[in-house]
Amino acid sequence: MNRLGAAPLALLWALPLLLSLAMLLPAASDGAAWHMALAHPQLWPALALSLATGAVSTLIALAISLLLIGGLSRSAMWNRLQAVAATGLAIPHLAFAIGFGFLIMPSGLIARLFVGGDAPPYWVSVQDPWGVALTLALALKEVPFLLTAGFAVLSRGDAAARLRAEARTAASLGHAPGSAFLRVVLPPLMKELRWPLVIVFVYGATVVDMALVLGPTQPPTLAVVIWHALNNAEPMTNGMGLVMTLLLTGALAIVLAAVALLKRAGRNATHRMLTAGPSLLQRPRATALVIGLAVTAMLALALLVLVLLSLAPRWPYPALLPAAVDASAWMAVSPAPLWLSLLLALAATAVAVASTVLWFETQDRNRDRWVIGLALVALALPQLASAGGQYRLLLPLGLTGTLFGLFLAHLTPVAAYVLIVLAGPYRAFDGRYIAAARALAASQLSAWARVKLPLLKAPLLIAAAIGFAVSIAQFVPAQLIAAGRFSTLPMEAVTLASGGNRPLTAAFALALTVPPLVAFLAAALLGRPRWR
Amino acid sequence: MALRLETVSIRIGGQPLIAPVSLIVAPGETVTLMGASGSGKSTLLSFIAGDLTSPFTTSGNVSLDGNSLDGLPPETRRIGRLFQDDLLFPHLTVAENLLFGMPRGPRPERLAKVEAALAEAELSGFGDRPPHTLSGGQRARVSLMRALVAEPHAMLLDEPFNKLDAELRQSLRSFVFEHIAARRIPCLMVTHDMADVPANGRLLLLKHATVTHA
Repeated sequence: MNRLGAAPLALLWALPLLLSLAMLLPAASDGAAWHMALAHPQLWPALALSLATGAVSTLIALAISLLLIGGLSRSAMWNRLQAVAATGLAIPHLAFAIGFGFLIMPSGLIARLFVGGDAPPYWVSVQDPWGVALTLALALKEVPFLLTAGFAVLSRGDAAARLRAEARTAASLGHAPGSAFLRVVLPPLMKELRWPLVIVFVYGATVVDMALVLGPTQPPTLAVVIWHALNNAEPMTNGMGLVMTLLLTGALAIVLAAVALLKRAGRNATHRMLTAGPSLLQRPRATALVIGLAVTAMLALALLVLVLLSLAPRWPYPALLPAAVDASAWMAVSPAPLWLSLLLALAATAVAVASTVLWFETQDRNRDRWVIGLALVALALPQLASAGGQYRLLLPLGLTGTLFGLFLAHLTPVAAYVLIVLAGPYRAFDGRYIAAARALAASQLSAWARVKLPLLKAPLLIAAAIGFAVSIAQFVPAQLIAAGRFSTLPMEAVTLASGGNRPLTAAFALALTVPPLVAFLAAALLGRPRWR
Repeated sequence: MALRLETVSIRIGGQPLIAPVSLIVAPGETVTLMGASGSGKSTLLSFIAGDLTSPFTTSGNVSLDGNSLDGLPPETRRIGRLFQDDLLFPHLTVAENLLFGMPRGPRPERLAKVEAALAEAELSGFGDRPPHTLSGGQRARVSLMRALVAEPHAMLLDEPFNKLDAELRQSLRSFVFEHIAARRIPCLMVTHDMADVPANGRLLLLKHATVTHA
């Protein structure tokens, strides 16, 4: 029973993932590919750009998130902030990048609102050479993710109660709320945010779809250079792409190691600050409120501009609103990519949730660290690395350009997220409920279905919604494995974003946004406990 | 230094939780308040400490050293608190926990006070240890010393011995009351264990929202 229960997760997810990573090893010993990669004129500037956009966007997102948590936690705005974060989380990165681009471009809504004039201003606001647009979009899009991770820590049962009690103790020791947050709440919070921050940094430094839409072009980020190389049919160029993937992964590892060392070196200074004594530092409520409203406005405006553009066949500058609206762009949205994306998302999510539940039900919790560790590796590694390896694995098996191959490519990140999201609530389930049900003559299956499933309904639905959203947004692995035979929503959206048909691009970006939003809304509504 | 309550009352949903009560706790005195669970003992302490929030409505005045505490936030009231749990901060060492609430000043002086406090708690040499490596009794002693080195003008004890075993309770009671009396700090303690009441200390009962002398 135990082995059988582990089989789906092991065979469909863990084994392909490990083999994909192993496929990178031959590339590491290809001398010619190394030579070609190191001689590439864009390697070093592109690498620097990638690291800078990843690091700066992570720092900005972290600063904003901590300001919002520190300023607004335990205030009337707290619940609203959680709702905004959940909505922001549901918007796919690519769709936000497209909306953000339309917002800040010279003829975009911001220029129409604040600049005006007869002609658009001369701004290099999209695909600027310094990567500012990409960095800002990444930072804004990651705020909801970091906030959600922070909420999870601050509202987790006993931990939350303990943190509240500790903050009260700090107040009795002379610390004002701002000081208590800085010295009592922040240290454990930062500890819990380590992995989310690694994921945000790696994602920001290696993202392809957002960089193709908003990033610089001369040079582009290293992820884009790699992306073009991996899509090249010429084996030598392809090998160079894999070597560059290894270089990028190594550079990210070095940066993360340097951060860890810096943190250790600064330990004394940190502890001096923590123990400097009581301070009357207040919480930055007003600043947090302004920043929170600004972030919310940017997320909302990016969506609004997509809606307006998708309905506006013509929208000349400087008009604030289109003169006429029609649905021609929506009529031109081909249904095939939408159906394929939905089918893949539903299949990958169903398999991921079912195999994860089967794992938790049949495996000892001591074994969790292996699968959770692998899931963290899958998320913390650049997607280009796992996708590049996956392509090399599936190519000789004849699975590239097949629906099954595409399904496996979606399942890799989906199962990783589902595992991480479900592990805590599933393992924290109080087994005495099952014992009580069994004592009342319920069979094992009946006790699971009638007691455990309803009690774990909310985390199961949230995990499914997250898995679904992750699958809908998949671009890099899907594009590589699809081999030009299939097209999903993100593939269409990226292709359109580089063209001139703005209404159709906006329509596709919205088509990409609606399914995850519906999934999160459904999870929130259906997961609401009936007994409260 | 005296803690004074003047016609303090607390209501919830229009119903009285604590009917108007007046009380003076003298310097070095420990007054014990007993009552059933849910009778409002801890709520009264929260009101005095300044962190009572909705849904309660309150009236009356609390003053310390003759100064009204009305409208003051908890951190400026100079009222130390002990809870059922020691609530030592897990990310700080024992010494760092003591430094946490100690008034600012030259670091060598503050470190000397830490050493003195540790010696008083018979925990010299434990400063660099993380709290979880200490026994329950040791942690409780550090928790009291942490509150005392913050130089409070009053102490509120919320069932501080509740989670300790019988032997430990006895020794910790003496430790706590001796230190509070030695510093001449007025102290209000809530408990539902008669054994916690200090000898010669005043005992108040909270029943049906009314505080009476036992």
